Amino acid sequence: MDVLNTKNKVSAATLNRFFVSALLLLTVTGCGLSGFQRGLSAAMMNNPDPATVREAMPTFLVTTDAMIEAAPNNSARLRTGAELYSAFAVLFIDDPDRARRLVARAKMYGEKALCVDADIACHLDQVDFEEFVGVLNRLDDDVLPSLYAYTIGWLSWAQFHSDDWSVVANLPKHQAVLAHIVAQDETFHQGSALVYLGMVKSLRPPSLGGNPEEARKHFERAIELSNGQNLSAKVELARSYARLVYDRELHDHVLKEVLEAPVEAPGLTLQNALAKSQARDLLQSADDFF
Amino acid sequence: MKKFAMFFLSLVFLAGFCLDAGAATIKIATAAPEGSTWMKEMRAGAEEISLRTEGRVRIKFFAGGVMGNDKSVMRKVRIGQLHGGAFIAGSLEDIVPSINLFSLPLIFRSYEEVDYVRNRMDKELKNELEEAGFACFGFAEGGFARIMSPQPIRSTEDARGLKIWVPEGDRISYRAMESLGLAPVTLPITDVMTGLQAKLIEVVASSPIGALAFQWHTRIKYVTSLPLSYLYGTLVIDKRFFNKLKPADQEIVREVMGRIYIELNNYNRQDNQKAIEAMTQQGIEFIDASEEASAQWRQVSSALNQQMGEEGVFSLTLYQKILGHLNDFRSGKVTRIGN
Repeated sequence: MDVLNTKNKVSAATLNRFFVSALLLLTVTGCGLSGFQRGLSAAMMNNPDPATVREAMPTFLVTTDAMIEAAPNNSARLRTGAELYSAFAVLFIDDPDRARRLVARAKMYGEKALCVDADIACHLDQVDFEEFVGVLNRLDDDVLPSLYAYTIGWLSWAQFHSDDWSVVANLPKHQAVLAHIVAQDETFHQGSALVYLGMVKSLRPPSLGGNPEEARKHFERAIELSNGQNLSAKVELARSYARLVYDRELHDHVLKEVLEAPVEAPGLTLQNALAKSQARDLLQSADDFF
Repeated sequence: MKKFAMFFLSLVFLAGFCLDAGAATIKIATAAPEGSTWMKEMRAGAEEISLRTEGRVRIKFFAGGVMGNDKSVMRKVRIGQLHGGAFIAGSLEDIVPSINLFSLPLIFRSYEEVDYVRNRMDKELKNELEEAGFACFGFAEGGFARIMSPQPIRSTEDARGLKIWVPEGDRISYRAMESLGLAPVTLPITDVMTGLQAKLIEVVASSPIGALAFQWHTRIKYVTSLPLSYLYGTLVIDKRFFNKLKPADQEIVREVMGRIYIELNNYNRQDNQKAIEAMTQQGIEFIDASEEASAQWRQVSSALNQQMGEEGVFSLTLYQKILGHLNDFRSGKVTRIGN
């Protein structure tokens, strides 16, 4: 019998170790924390100096751990834990062993937050895709924040486990989560679900059945929603989309815009500062890439 | 996807210019995405080649299928717009009809058999490519394609009535399906996911890493473990270009790329095993075909293979050589793969 001679690309099939180049979108709301801590969270997001935030974050992480210890079933605190640990590991930690410890906690907090909010979503990693989507469609809208934390925790974990084929196997589930969030509320977390969805959709080139043009639309919509102030969405448009389709003109144009744009924007200042630094790196390496 | 057609003339010009200037830029297309193992290894190899040739040989990659499918990449190689590409073996059949011999239906039963035969036959297939005008740096395994389906397929009867995907242009598979009285549906590989979603097709055959990369695993629940077809690929560079490099530089390219292809070959074997584990964790069940069905399918395939060899679809001599090696291996004349 001979369905046999499938033309699976040998090279294409090596789609591991490919994961998200960077999760830039640090959007920690601080929900479930005290007024002072919410203020801390906002201050962090509005800080134009990433180095300062890097120094300050471990204290905030441990404080969040302590608050979760005190109320282990408080989904808001668990969400904050997932998002903070994800952001800290992805943005600031170069040592892969250390990063893996941090993202393991991010993933665990995200899974628990979702499980606390919805019983039916407690062991989603162990179900097949069809069942997963069935559960997703039965979740109430108020579960959206925990669903987001669940996927952010997983995405950061995936970035440091990109040799693991379970990452490739689970990717469609998290793409479905992001699409679900965007369908419910595209402005969620300042459009960050849109950007993540664009990044995930950019992972597969057309040769693997991917659709980069859909990714592009997500990035452009996120930029539009922020009135052009979300610079990390622009960086991802260049890195994830323009590089995928070898569009040098778009790549350079968008990155130059990022460098010229003001860094300050409510809730986006820190990520914009990081985006500028990444834009410089991408422009510098463009000659080698294209 | 970016349109390259309008740059055609300038690219051809540049290709020539680079050589004349004493620093050749080899342009290679691949379907592998940026960031994949293939691309990482290749970029590292390109850097080593550039260093060791003191910048005389540079390699420029077009990843992620941006230059089109294998057929259009080969067309671009033919006209000099590209110099080489990474191809699945079957895509080179027009150039070397026997190149796809290892992929013939049900020819291998295990990786041990593959290793035994490849140790003896890789060189012959490589020579065929070299004689056809392409520098070849070895073959990289893609793994065994297996039946993947929404319900268990252990026999021909189980498959009857199901819509079974056959890759576009794959006459061998189509004929085999028809011989078994099954219902093949032809689609290009990039449309398979849409086909599965729309239930235009229900059954696919793929290696585990292929199924995960294409996300087909989200639409199937069972994998029949019987190895249907051995998949592999190769990197080739047009000798019209390659031979213009200094002989010493050619040697460096061959050494580095050859080494990388051996590594990729090994990686993929391990990755397929890991992919099987990941699929199992997703609740996908690996089942065995019945002995009766396995025997029937082997018999049909064997007859078809012989017939195609006689029709000149590929070299009957090489095919029989493979069968001879397999016979030696199966009869226990040899005990070690390297023998």
